[in-house]
Amino acid sequence: MKRLLFATVILLVSCKPPTPAEQMDAILSWVGSAIVLGNGWLRHTTPDTYTRQTLTLSHDQLRQIGAELLKSPPATIDSTELDGALTRSGTHLARMAQLVEARNSPGFNQVLDSLELDQKALKQLSDKIESSQ
Amino acid sequence: MKKILQLSLGIITSVGGFLEIGSVTTAAQAGAQFGYKLLWAILLGTLCLIFLIEMSGRLAAVSKHTIVDAIRERFGFPFFFFVLLGTVLVAFMVLVAELGGIGFALQILTGIRFPWWALPVSFVVWLLMWKGTFSLIENGASLLGLVTVSFVVAALRLNPDWTSAASGLLPTLPDDDKSKYWFLAVSILGASISPYLTFFYSSGAIEDKWDRTYLPINRVIAAFGMTFGGLLSMAVLIVAALALRPKGIQVETFQQAALMMTTALPKWGFYLFALSMLFACFGAALEISLAISYFFSQGFGWNWSEDVEPSSDARFAFVYTLIIGFAAVPLMFGVDPIKITMMSMALTSATLPLAIVPFLFLMNDPIYLGKHRNGWISNTVVGVVILISFVLAVVSIPLEIMGG
Repeated sequence: MKRLLFATVILLVSCKPPTPAEQMDAILSWVGSAIVLGNGWLRHTTPDTYTRQTLTLSHDQLRQIGAELLKSPPATIDSTELDGALTRSGTHLARMAQLVEARNSPGFNQVLDSLELDQKALKQLSDKIESSQ
Repeated sequence: MKKILQLSLGIITSVGGFLEIGSVTTAAQAGAQFGYKLLWAILLGTLCLIFLIEMSGRLAAVSKHTIVDAIRERFGFPFFFFVLLGTVLVAFMVLVAELGGIGFALQILTGIRFPWWALPVSFVVWLLMWKGTFSLIENGASLLGLVTVSFVVAALRLNPDWTSAASGLLPTLPDDDKSKYWFLAVSILGASISPYLTFFYSSGAIEDKWDRTYLPINRVIAAFGMTFGGLLSMAVLIVAALALRPKGIQVETFQQAALMMTTALPKWGFYLFALSMLFACFGAALEISLAISYFFSQGFGWNWSEDVEPSSDARFAFVYTLIIGFAAVPLMFGVDPIKITMMSMALTSATLPLAIVPFLFLMNDPIYLGKHRNGWISNTVVGVVILISFVLAVVSIPLEIMGG
């Protein structure tokens, strides 16, 4: 009986959706990917098509995970602040994909700098969420 | 002289053919998420594979039986059929993943999405099977796969802390995400100890007409080829740990996996990654298609050989034609190869006892091996690793599925 209860608890625990901390990790992973990719593109080490497609994928993933996270934002952080950081990052990712298509390196560099600032803001929010858990 | 050449070629092809989508994906995910902490799983899997490969070559050289032949003969058809179902189902999933890996490599090189590549890639794989010979498939694809040595170059370029890396060879638990850690450990073991490799290897030994004089060569190929291959997997994990983990990048897609090489080798990294995936998955897709066809043909007593015209072993050719065709279907509908890879690697671990335990019985049977049957070291190492893999798989797979 004890084993059955233990198994049920394990299953119930494992059925839970991703935690806000895990969602923030996923968001930071996509933003980090875009930054590494962006730096590579500026150094002409990644092809245009791959860079653009991956930036678009990062944008889509960020929007999807962000929307899920904002449905029930953690109480420890300001949801407006989170929403703002996510929106800014999404806009920058979409803009970077456009700039790759236009092969506009100077413009791309500027947006990449802004994305790095977004990453710092998102990291701070992520740390707050993690410390509250 | 001929045997020295065969020995060198055997080691080189083992190294070139070692990496495939499963070993790259699992090692990259492990390194990106847990740093060096899962190096022990690669070590354990490689150790087990060395013994298994040596055993499968020894069985073929001494008894002139492939593993499948011998399982059917020794245990009877009903039991063989049970083994066939489990093993072929998992091998089929791995084939889908490998074809998807080729498609993804072509996607990042050309920009054309991988579902569009499913049919052309499957056709090329089938054509090579139809027209090619065993040595072309064994040696050609594996020699191209030597491009995967670039992962070792990348790891050395990143200048790892070898003391920390060495500490990863002993199991240590992470502070959080333990279920993911164990699931990855199981997937790494599944990627390393793929039963299809043993079927392929023993069938190859029969195709190459090995006899007892090949036993020393077999031992050296198994030991050196698999050790160097295992080092390649470790290099992938180390590169991911150093290039992706500090930036918080997890490997959920191939697009992200490619970034590890652009960090380590800025100029050529992207293309080396894409070509590594392309050749490694291509070689593995050929080997798995062959292994599944061998399995059916040897089990049902049909004619089989990759070295004869398809008209001479029509049912053998029919099997690979059918499975390659079926494997293209999920990819055409956009099923994510990474998800299939992770699940098929974990399921490989879960089904290992099905394929390996009867094989262990055979290796201890004096009727087949005479004085060349297994000693206690081979039995213990393989038995313990298979048991660990199975238990971990049974515990971690449900957790991973339900945890999403």
